[in-house]
Formats: sequence, structure tokens, C-alpha cells
Amino acid sequence: MKKLSLVLFILSLGLDVNGQIAPVKRDTTRRLGEVKVDATVKRKIENDMKMAVSVDEFLASSDNISFIKRGAYAWEPLLNNMSTERSTITIDGMHIFGACTDKMDPITSYVETNNLSSIDIKSGQEGNMHGATVAGSIDLKRRSTPFGLQQKVGGAYQTGFEFNNKQAFNLGNLFYSTDNFVADGSIAFRKAGNYYDGNNKEVLHSQYNKLNASLGLAYKTSPLSAIRVDAIFDRAKDVGFPALPMDLWLSRAIITSASYKQLFEEGLVKVWDTKVYFNAVEHYMDDTTRPENLVHMDMPGWSTTYGLVSKINLKKDRYSSEVQFNAYDNLSIAEMRMYPQDRSKQTMFAYSWPWVTTRFASIAMNNSWEISERSKVNLGGSLGWNYNYSKYVEFNWIFHPGASQKKNRWLPGLHASYELSLNQFDISLGTGFGHRAPSVSEAYGYYIYNSFDRYDYIGNPDLKNEISYEGNASVGFKTEKLSIAAKVNYFYINNYIIGRILSLGSPMNYQSVGVKGYTSLKYATLFNTAINVDYKILDNLHWKGVLTYARGKDDEGGNLPFIRPLSYQTSLHYGYKRLGLRTSLNGDFAQTNYSPAYGEDQTASYKIWNLSADYSFSLGKFKSVFQVGAENLLNEYYSTYADWGNIPRMGRNIFTSLKVNF
Amino acid sequence: MKVSILIKTIGFYAALACVFLGSCTKGKTNYEAERGEVIEENNEFKEVSNVVTSAYTVSIEALNGVLYRGYNDIRVRIKNTQTNTPVEVSGLTFLPIKTTVMGEKSSCPNQYHFGYKSADKYFSGYTVFTSESGTEGSWALYINFTVGNQTFSLIKEVAVRQQTNKNLNMTVFRGKDDEQYVIALIAPRKPNVAENKLVAGIYKLNRMLDSAAKGPADQLQFSYSQVERYTLKLDPRMPEPSMGNHSSPNNRDLIQDKDGLYHGVVNYTMTGNWTLNFILLNPEGKVIRGTEVPKDFTPGVEGRKSELHLDILF
Ligand SMILES: [Cu+2]
Repeated sequence: MKKLSLVLFILSLGLDVNGQIAPVKRDTTRRLGEVKVDATVKRKIENDMKMAVSVDEFLASSDNISFIKRGAYAWEPLLNNMSTERSTITIDGMHIFGACTDKMDPITSYVETNNLSSIDIKSGQEGNMHGATVAGSIDLKRRSTPFGLQQKVGGAYQTGFEFNNKQAFNLGNLFYSTDNFVADGSIAFRKAGNYYDGNNKEVLHSQYNKLNASLGLAYKTSPLSAIRVDAIFDRAKDVGFPALPMDLWLSRAIITSASYKQLFEEGLVKVWDTKVYFNAVEHYMDDTTRPENLVHMDMPGWSTTYGLVSKINLKKDRYSSEVQFNAYDNLSIAEMRMYPQDRSKQTMFAYSWPWVTTRFASIAMNNSWEISERSKVNLGGSLGWNYNYSKYVEFNWIFHPGASQKKNRWLPGLHASYELSLNQFDISLGTGFGHRAPSVSEAYGYYIYNSFDRYDYIGNPDLKNEISYEGNASVGFKTEKLSIAAKVNYFYINNYIIGRILSLGSPMNYQSVGVKGYTSLKYATLFNTAINVDYKILDNLHWKGVLTYARGKDDEGGNLPFIRPLSYQTSLHYGYKRLGLRTSLNGDFAQTNYSPAYGEDQTASYKIWNLSADYSFSLGKFKSVFQVGAENLLNEYYSTYADWGNIPRMGRNIFTSLKVNF
Repeated sequence: MKVSILIKTIGFYAALACVFLGSCTKGKTNYEAERGEVIEENNEFKEVSNVVTSAYTVSIEALNGVLYRGYNDIRVRIKNTQTNTPVEVSGLTFLPIKTTVMGEKSSCPNQYHFGYKSADKYFSGYTVFTSESGTEGSWALYINFTVGNQTFSLIKEVAVRQQTNKNLNMTVFRGKDDEQYVIALIAPRKPNVAENKLVAGIYKLNRMLDSAAKGPADQLQFSYSQVERYTLKLDPRMPEPSMGNHSSPNNRDLIQDKDGLYHGVVNYTMTGNWTLNFILLNPEGKVIRGTEVPKDFTPGVEGRKSELHLDILF
């Protein structure tokens, strides 16, 4: 049993020590599906409707993720209704920072579904293992094939076409696995034209074109240790952002890592996993496709990160623990060059990120004790050090004379929770406390144009740490057929960072109406709740429903922006032999608690009805699935509360896809 | 065999990383060079001209070895022609005089009595040339110096060139009090996208005292004087239409300091064309010249300038 649990543990970490204990493996692989990995929510990359989803579409099916959408591509994920500054988003624990001042490139845009195995979403301070956070963490877990699979070579190929925006995609992945060598490779192409809204009107500048490739090689250095090198290359080209005044000409990212993993059969320490990584992102925007623009601008950005992440897992009897050390160094550069109408005249230049270095190191620990068969206590903490350096601090001095060029911050975090299972009920209660440092834009941003509220934003290097106090609770009820789970969380955030109108200076970008400076509100509060219901009506007929509600207020009782109104997702799945039928309805109620002060207007309610059918068959000896379906079947014209500039969303979209496993 | 695969793999990734590291699609801006493109660094004093007599060699030095229209720091060195060693000079006066083709003579804001820097053995002062040499007239320097109790005089014609560094621009205007004024920028020579200390000299043309005086130097040396306790209100803006009358925060009006010059702060938010819009106030707070400019952001419209302004480019 002890051995079994060890293997389980190892499997859950993605590396399988096969060979000696092969017989146990098959057993545990099957069992793994049923085992809930501690406190993490691991999910297959698929949503209720589509088997060929984008990373964004997949995340959208999670009840604590919402999105700010600036177009059809690269949506900014909001966790617990908080923007990406407040969450840590990592790929296998690696920190990567986008190179776009306009947030065209959230980290989620640098991966593809066919190189991911799952996405770990942790809410609040539970997510501080990877670094200081307020909202929580999103870790994109890469696919890694175990050693010594019975099938030496395998893979999958997926292709499809979506009619609304003529998106064609081809995703392929291959693996090769022997007892001590594994290779994983994937490649993905997506190309889409402009989409059409519910009034069948073309939404200009909403096209995209993406290539993503990854390669991973692992070598078993001993029965209990292995090294692995990984690389992801991502290229997005000619991507339109209808809600922004410019598009993306080219964005490239290379994400590399080398890791060493050592397992221990005896003793307290079970796994030691260390990884060094390097990633570089380049991002070039383009406004030449927008002749209506008064000024031609070049806005390139670069972000380079080196890092180390090392963690050990400890386990003894009913105690288990995870200790993680993180360190990284990031350099973010963004330039802005404006061309006068008379091109022979001199150009105008400024840095929107004046060569900002961020160094971060943290040590984090999460402990859990199973007090009894029914109850468990989790206790964790982290201590981070954040250092910033602005090379051209004179830019920051224009608005903040004498602001510090170098800034050290200490970022503590703590969380505790108690879980109890009582018959059919699962109850948990938790609390947390944590600091976060301002982001590069919040601290050092310089005239970053925000096309949502049409203000130019100025950072403040001496902003105080944002301090979050949170409480959360959940109750679950489960029977053979029915499961209900309700979750609530509440954040009280001191020094909440947000842009406030400055009476100083005047805009630089001609579209903007004024200048806002990042300032700290005394506090802000955020409340999130979600109810999930699963019901097995028949063995082959399942119903699922999710209801979410959130409310965010500033220190004067005003509304915070980008808080999702009451929203729902409900779906029905019917399976008959090789045929699967799904239908779902999702929507938001009218946004009543909007924030005019932050550029929001009221957004009306909408509902979207989707339908799909899939059929599994064998193509020779290959298992295949074909799917056809329609999203927004009623061709509703709508935009959501978080659609930048109220751009309309996609109208009716018929999609098809074929997946072949070999 | 397997180890070799491993080594190859690591090698492959190392190569990949190297290729990527050194190859961004577009190069980053070299910011230091960016600013240097327009303004060449000229903070070295070089000889402009010299006068050699049998006894003394008088060498006139300015930054970059050139005299420009506008403000110039000037050094004068006097050496023994025979021994080529500095001479003990007890006093030196310096007066530039412009002569037009019609033969009219005039001077410009100028330090008449140069100060002596004993450590480096030279005389230093300043001159604000109000025009370039050319059709408007030619400039000559009238220098007197005293060695022992003997006074030597010399006149040297010099070329005054156009100032290409717009940050050292100057303007001559008639105020509402019917006096003629000169405002010349002195610093920053090489501004940054930053808070810049802005220094200007403000001078006033004195009414002719006595037209029947003896030599030209006797009256022309008093032709201009520094104005005292005035205020120069500042409103910097980018005139380019697409910049929509863009301005910057935290600027400070220029007020007179102990050195007699006017000091203030200008913030440039980006490189390019800027206009320093001024309003000159006398010690009583009365407007001598200058108009308020619109403060609104008006994209697509060229910014309106004050009737008293200087254009800057960096
Ligand atoms: Cu961008």
C-alpha cells in the first residue's frame, strides 16, 4: 500500500518510475482518474461543448475564471474577477511575462491545447506556491509522456474548421517512449479570418494566425531520477484586436527549461524537482492597417526572464508537505515611437516600460495533516522578496519626482484551511493573508494607453504593497446521482491599486481623453460565489449547471470595474453507443453594478445556446472522433461586460473537428 | 549511446537559446544614441580665434571652438608670445560690436568685465550674440587688458554662426513697456525625457544714455543689462498636430537666482519638437510679453503658441 501511494504520488507529478513496478502501474493509472489530487483542480483540456477548444475556451468553462476580450484571440483571464496583475500565471511553474503594454499577450496565449495536459487553478493565497499573489494562481501543466509505455510511439492528430471566422486548425502531437528515454513533440497551426457578429456584420481586425510547437526530451538517469529539457516556440502573426487602435504584427516567444527530478523510496522526502528556465518574448504592434489613425506609432516590446524553481515533496504518515523555492529575473522593455505627419521631421520617442528589471525570490510551503479519516488541516505560507530597478527612471520622475529607482519589497503570505467530510457532505473553511507587489505597468508604466476608458496610464514606483485578507468556504453534497457544490470567497484588499484621474499633464496618445495614475485605494472588497450542480438523470444523460455571482466595491462603496454579473452555464449531455449529443445554454444577466468611473457602461443580458454532436469510430486501427456543432445557434447579437470597447461577440458559429488517436 | 543523445539534446537547446537570444526581429532603440542624433556633444572649450602681437598671444575660446547666435560661454587666455607661458593680467574687458553695412554699431547682452580663474589662468565671461554674421552685419570683439599698469587694446573680427542646437535658442522682442528684451536659453544643452533644469538669461536694451560719448565701447558696454526680479512663466507643449497640444506635468516657472540667471524646471515627456511658451512678468507682476495658450487636448490641431515662445527639438 505504501508503495502504491508513492506511485500514485509520482504519477500525479507526471513522471512514472516504471520498470520494476510495472504490474502496479496499470492498476494505478486507472485509479488515478478517481483520485482527487490534493486541493488542486485538474481538468482535461476540453469543455462541455467542444473537444477542440482553444486554451481560452477551456479556461472559460471554469467557474472562477472570466475574461477581458479585446478580440477573438488572446483573452486576458481574470481569476476571482481580478486582473492578471493579481494572479500568478505560470507554465509548469515557470514565470513568463508578456511583452505587450496593452495586454495583448497573456501567458495563456503562448501555449496550445495539444501541449498541455491540465490547468491548475488555485484560488487566493493557496496559490502562493509559485509566488506572491492576491487572486490565486493558474499553472498551465505541460504534457509529458511517462517512461516505458507499452505503446512506444503514439500521438494524435486533430483538424477542424469553424465557419463563422473561417478558422482552420491542425494540431498534432507525437510521443516516443522507452524505458529510459521519452520524446514529446507537438505542433499546432491556427488561422482565422474576421468573425461575424449576431447581425452578420463583419468585425474588422479580428483575424489571427498562430503557430505553436513544442518539444520535450526526457532521459532516465537512474531508476529514480530523470532529466528533462523542454522548449515551446510560439508565433502569432497578423492578429487583429478590433477593440484596440492597433493590431499585432508579430509576437514570438521561446520558452525553454531543463529540469532534474529525483524520487526517494525511503524517508520523509519523496520527490525533489529542480528546474532552470529561460524565456524570451518579443512583441511588435502594427497600426498601418488602421488608416483612420492620426498618428503612426511603433510600439515594440520585449520581455526576457531567467528563473529557477525547485521543490520537494515530503510525506510521513498523515502528514504531507510541499516546499517550493522560486527565483526569477525579468527585464521588460517597451518603446513608443510616434511619427509626425511630415515624415521628414524628427520622430518622437519614449519608453512605456523604461527597461524595468524585476527580481523575485520566494520560499513557500504547504502542509497538510489528515487529522482523522474525515478531516484535514492545511497550513501554508510563503515569503517573497521583490526587487525592481528602472534603468531610465527619469521617465518615472516626470510624474513622481524623486521616486526610487530601486525598490525592495517583502511579500509575506499565509493561508489555512480545514476540510471535513461528513457522510455525504464535504465542508471546507479557509482564510488567508498575503501581499503583492505592483506590476511593471502599475509601478513604472509610462503613458500606457488604455482604450477601454480611453486614458493614458502612468505608474507609480512607490506604490504600497497590496495586502489581501481573504476568507473562503465551500459545501458539497454528493449522492450517486447528484452532486452539488457551493463556494464563496471574500477578499478585503488594502491599498487596492487602480487608475485614478490625474490633474497633471495631458494625454500623449491622441485617442485618449486624459491621464490616469495608478494609485492605491484605501481598500476594496470582492465577493465571489459559485454553485455547481451535476445530476445524472440517466446513466447516459447528464445535466450540469453553474451559477456565479460576484460583487466588487471600492472604499467609497462604488463599483469596481470588470466584475462579472450574475451568470450561468447549463449543459446536458446524452450518450448513446458511439454517439454523443450535447447542448448548453450560458449567459449573463444584465450588469447592474457597473462602474462609470472606470469607463464601464451598462451591459445588457444575453444568452447563448449551443449544440453539438460527436461520433466515435475506428479509422483502421485508430480511434477517432468526429464532432459537429454550433455555438450561438440563435445568432444573438451581444457583447459582455468585459468586452473591451463593447465590441460584439461572434454570432452563430458552426464548427467541425476530427480527432484521430494513434 | 544514450548519454550521447542527452548531450546532443542539451547542445540543441543551448544552440536554440543562443540563436534566439541574439536575434530579435526588430532591434531595440539605443536610447543614448537616440538623443545624441540631434545634439552633438560639445562641451569642450576650443580656440575660436587668436591675436598675436610681439608681446602677447590672446586666445579666445568657446565651446566647440565656435561662436553661435545666442548664449556663449567664453574664455580668454593671454600668453607671452615668446615663452608661451600665461601672463599675469590684472583685468580684462570684452565687448562684441556689430557693424552693419550702413556702418551702424550696436552691441549685445554681454559680460564686460571678465572674471579671472586663477587656478586655470584664464578669463571667463559670456556673450549673447543677437544675430549671425552675414548680411545683417559683422561682429568684432573689442578686448582691453592690463598687464602691470599698461593697457593693451585689440579688435578682432569673428564669425557668429547659426545655433543648430535648438535647446540654446534665443529671442529678441519688444515688450509692452516698449523696451527691447532678449531671452537666451543656457541649459539644458542636451535635454532628457525627464525633469530638466531650465536656465535662461533675460536682458533688456538700455536706452541710449548719451549719444555724444567718446568711443563706442564707452557707451555700448552699457547697452544691455540683466533684468532683475522678473518672472518667466513657462508652459511647454508639443506643437505637432497629432500630439494635440500635449503638455507635461510638474514644470516650474523661471525665477532669478543668485547668479543673475533665471532658473526653472521643464519636463519633456518624449523626444521631438517642443515649444516653450512664455509669459514674461516684471517685478510688479505686469505682463511684459506673452499670452496664455489653450490648455485643452486637441488632437489633429497644431498647438497654438504664445506670442513669446522658443522652439526646442531634441
Ligand atoms: Cu501589443
